[in-house]
Parts: sequence; structure tokens; C-alpha cells
Amino acid sequence: MISRSAIGRNAQLALRRQCCAQPANRRGFAAAVSGSTSFSYETADVGGVKVASRDIAGPTTKLAVVAKAGTRYESAPGVATGLEYFAFKNTDKRSALRITRESELLGGQLTAYHTREALVVEANFLREDLPYFTELLGEVISQTRYTSHEYHEEVEARLHLEQKRIFADASHIAINSAHGVAFHKGLGNPLFPSPSTPLSKYLNEESIKAFASSAYAKPNIAVVANGASQAELAKWVGEFFTNVPGSSSTVSSEATKYYGGEERTAHGSGNSLVIAFPGSSSFTAGGSYKPEVSVLAALLGGKSTIKWSPGFSLLSKSSASFPGASAATSHFAYSDAGLLAIEFSGSAQAIRAASTEAVKALKSIAEGSISKEDFTKAVALAKYRALEEGQNFEAGLVSTGTGLIHGGKAFQIDEVGKSVESVTADQLQSAAKALLEGKATVSAVGDLYVLPYAEELGLKV
Amino acid sequence: MSAPSFTSFIVKRPWLKNFMTPLSNWYCNAAGYRKLGLRADDLISEEDETVLLALKRLPEKEAYDRVFRLRRAFQVGPTYANISASLAHQLLPKEQHTKPEEDYPYLSPIIREIEAEAKERSDLESLSIKRK
Repeated sequence: MISRSAIGRNAQLALRRQCCAQPANRRGFAAAVSGSTSFSYETADVGGVKVASRDIAGPTTKLAVVAKAGTRYESAPGVATGLEYFAFKNTDKRSALRITRESELLGGQLTAYHTREALVVEANFLREDLPYFTELLGEVISQTRYTSHEYHEEVEARLHLEQKRIFADASHIAINSAHGVAFHKGLGNPLFPSPSTPLSKYLNEESIKAFASSAYAKPNIAVVANGASQAELAKWVGEFFTNVPGSSSTVSSEATKYYGGEERTAHGSGNSLVIAFPGSSSFTAGGSYKPEVSVLAALLGGKSTIKWSPGFSLLSKSSASFPGASAATSHFAYSDAGLLAIEFSGSAQAIRAASTEAVKALKSIAEGSISKEDFTKAVALAKYRALEEGQNFEAGLVSTGTGLIHGGKAFQIDEVGKSVESVTADQLQSAAKALLEGKATVSAVGDLYVLPYAEELGLKV
Repeated sequence: MSAPSFTSFIVKRPWLKNFMTPLSNWYCNAAGYRKLGLRADDLISEEDETVLLALKRLPEKEAYDRVFRLRRAFQVGPTYANISASLAHQLLPKEQHTKPEEDYPYLSPIIREIEAEAKERSDLESLSIKRK
């Protein structure tokens, strides 16, 4: 059925084991456990490929190839999404079906997704299957065939469905529009092409293949693992990533510049308002990292972290009096820029009232009328969030990979914690003041008759 | 559907190939489809799921040329609608006949690929539905 050469030794063992009776005293989860409980990444360079791993003790491994191929680096609209959908399709060595069946046999999970900066091709599996999945990921990024019929029959069909899904989601449209207004090109590219993008003009299997050959070149990828020892990972990457092209035609994007402005989109279902300001770049970028922005995000807040209480955050306190609107502050950090965004959703009337209150809250921070206690709480929450993100497999993996391919550093959890702790109330106040003095970004999606203009809110655009 | 073929068996043996090539050229010309401007792959029956899928996968240019050849053949060739033309047995002028080097398989490789896919799927599929 499955040829011997096509599948790893472990798969054969797994097949064989299915039929044998297992000894009664066999322990569960008795995989050979190596590693430590350290949350810091070790990095290395294996034959031109950047490799980072965190050897957390446990029976499973998460392995990912993080490529510099997010929407920011797109050569044409939609190619990053197209490339994501081509992951684990037919390769020169085996078919998509065989890849699926083989990983099912090993209990592996395969996923691919993209962010604005990175495209992640990921596998989750049992620790002992590392060689098989390292080979698979190496094959997927260097030997996928990008056939015409797969593009028309699978990739394109899925893309159209995704476009429809995105179009129904008002808050997604608002966040995309805020990015577009704030950064124009590059980081401003929409995460998924909108339904009215003239895709057929730009997107086909050839353009995706051309994009892949530059995006999946050695200087543009990082292999990141959680739960694998660095030595072993480096050994297998050295063996299986030799086909990855070395030099690349440059994948580049101009340095991000913040513009700001206002965009209003009428939408039939749902209302959303995003008020955004220039934020801080991510920790992995090095110099331009500003921890006070994440404290500011925690202080503005919106979503309660404690049950049965609106919480201490300024927005949740103020929006408690406007039932029907929910507010949330999030900070999108990228390699050379960031966006501090306050998102409102709910009924248009409630959004209108809550957003006015939110701007008032921001002004009160700028004036320095924040209690010492609230400030301490915000620092603690921001620190918790940063550390939790680092501890979280998914987020740590992507931010480490993105950091490595942008020439920065890996996500080092203890340093992040320290830098957030060192934020002072004065820093916070001056950061808030600077935001209000500069240009804001305001995106309204939904019932435009009711949703406020930036000028009504008292923001400069 | 791809028809069973001895081609690979013959091509592997030079003496057999030398013997068969003139014979096959004679057969192809005698079959007459080249005189109607068709290619061998144009004669594959379309009433089949696999062939329909293969036709969908044809590159745009190939698909257009195929339709052109078929329509041309129907118009000049013996048609059922027009008995007199059929009896007259019109053929294309000599310069429009398919040349042997133009008569390459453009559809059957795609058909074989689809059949291989289907075979692999049935080999790997652990579930089989039995209707009672």
C-alpha cells in the first residue's frame, strides 16, 4: 500500500504496532523525555537556514517554517493567501493525498496560516517523528509543484469562500481598513483580498510560484520548534533543507511609515469602529520597542479579565454604561511599526457614545489624572500578557520566526517581562500625549448615518 | 479513458520499433482522421467523468484548438445531417491535413494522471462503502 521508501520508519512501526497486543504494564506518555522547562529559544544557523528551538519537556513537538511572505511582502494582491493555500499540495515526490494520509498515520496535524508579516507552515506531532516532519516541511517549501488544476479546483475555490466570509465580518473589515489608512502599502495590504479585488488579473499558479521561489529562499525562512532539542533539529534541518534555494531575488518592502486618516465603509450587517494610533514595534525588533504602549493598551483595556466585574480598565468602566457596545484595545506589533487599536462593536448608537467616552479616557491619561493603583494594575496586566504570549506556543513561535527573518532576535521571555516592568507613569503620560497630538486613524464600518466622524470625536486625522 | 497500449513495450525494443513504425504510420494515415485535420486524442470518447475532468484541465490554448479542430472536421467531413456531403466524402485540402509531428498526445497524459490519482486514492482509502 504505502511504499517503504516513502514513509518514515516510525510510520512502519506504528502500522505494525496496531495489530500487536500491548503489554499491560505499558506506561502512557512514556516517550523519551529530554529537555528543560526553560522558555528561552536557542538559535543557530544551519547551512544558511535560521533555526530556533525551545526544548520544553513533553511528548509533543510543534515545528514550523516561518517565511517572510505575509501580506506585507506580496508582489500582487492575494499571492500570500494563494501560497498559504498551496501548502501541503502535490509535490515532486508525493501527492497531497499521500501527505495527508501519512501524517494521519503518525497522528500529526498540518496547518498553514499567514499574518501581515509572516507565512507559517506548521506541523504538530509526537516528539519521535521529528525527522519525518522536518523532511515533509522541507519538501513542501522547496518542491511543491503549483499545478494549474490544483489552483483552479482547490485554491481558487477556497479563496472565494474566504473572501465571502471576510466580507460578512464588519470588525475584520474595520481592522483591515485601519491598517490600510495607517500604513498605505506594505503593512496596509489587506490580510485577505476583498471580494471586489480584481484577482484574476494578478493571481494564478505562475505568480504564486514566482512568489514562492523568492519567499521560500534560505535568507527568508526560519525553522522554529517547540519541544525538540536544538542538536537534533539542526541535524535534520541540515539534511532535509538542502533543496531550498540559497540566494533570493529580494523580498522587500519599504520601511513602514505612519500616515493616519479616516475611512468610512457602509456595511449591511454589524457595526464596527476602530480608533488607532501609531504603536510600538514588536520586542524582537530591538531598538524601536516601546513597552509603554503595551501598558497603555492594558490601561485602556475594554475586556474584563476578572469575572463578574467590569475590571479596572478605563474603557470597560466607561462602556459599562452603554450596554450593546463592546470595546477592546489591542496592540498589533510588527517588525518596524505597530498599531494601537481600540475596536468597538455592537449597535451603532452605543458605539457612538462609547467611542466618545474612550477619547475622553485617553485625554485623561494624557493629562496625568490616572490613579497610582490603576497604573500598577495596568503594568501587571501588560507584563502578564507579554509573558503569557511568550509562553504560548503559537504566538512565541511566530514572533520568534518573524524576529529571526527580520534580522532581529528571538522572543526572549524574561527580557520582555523586565522591560514592561520598567515603565513609569511619566512615560505613559507622555506616550498618550504624543498619540493625541499626532494624526489618528479612524475606520467606521456599518451604519454610517450614526457612526461618528473622527472630527466629532475630537481626534486629528 | 486511456486505452490499453503496447507502445512502451515496443518503444523499448529498437528492432521491434523499427519494424512497427512504418506500420503505425500507415495505420494512422489509413484511419483517415488526419485528413479531417484531427489528432488521435480528439477521438477519445468524451462520455466519461475522467475525460470530462481532463478536458477541464487542458490549457486554454489547447482547449480552444481542440474545439476548432472538431468543428472543422464536422463541417467538412461526412456528416449525418447532410447525406450528400457524406456521400461526397469531402476532405480537407492537403495542406490542412494533420502532419504526423502535430499528432501528439495532448489529452491522454492528463487522463493517465487523473487515473493515477484515482488509483492512489482507492489504494489509500481505508473506508469502503458497501451497498446492500
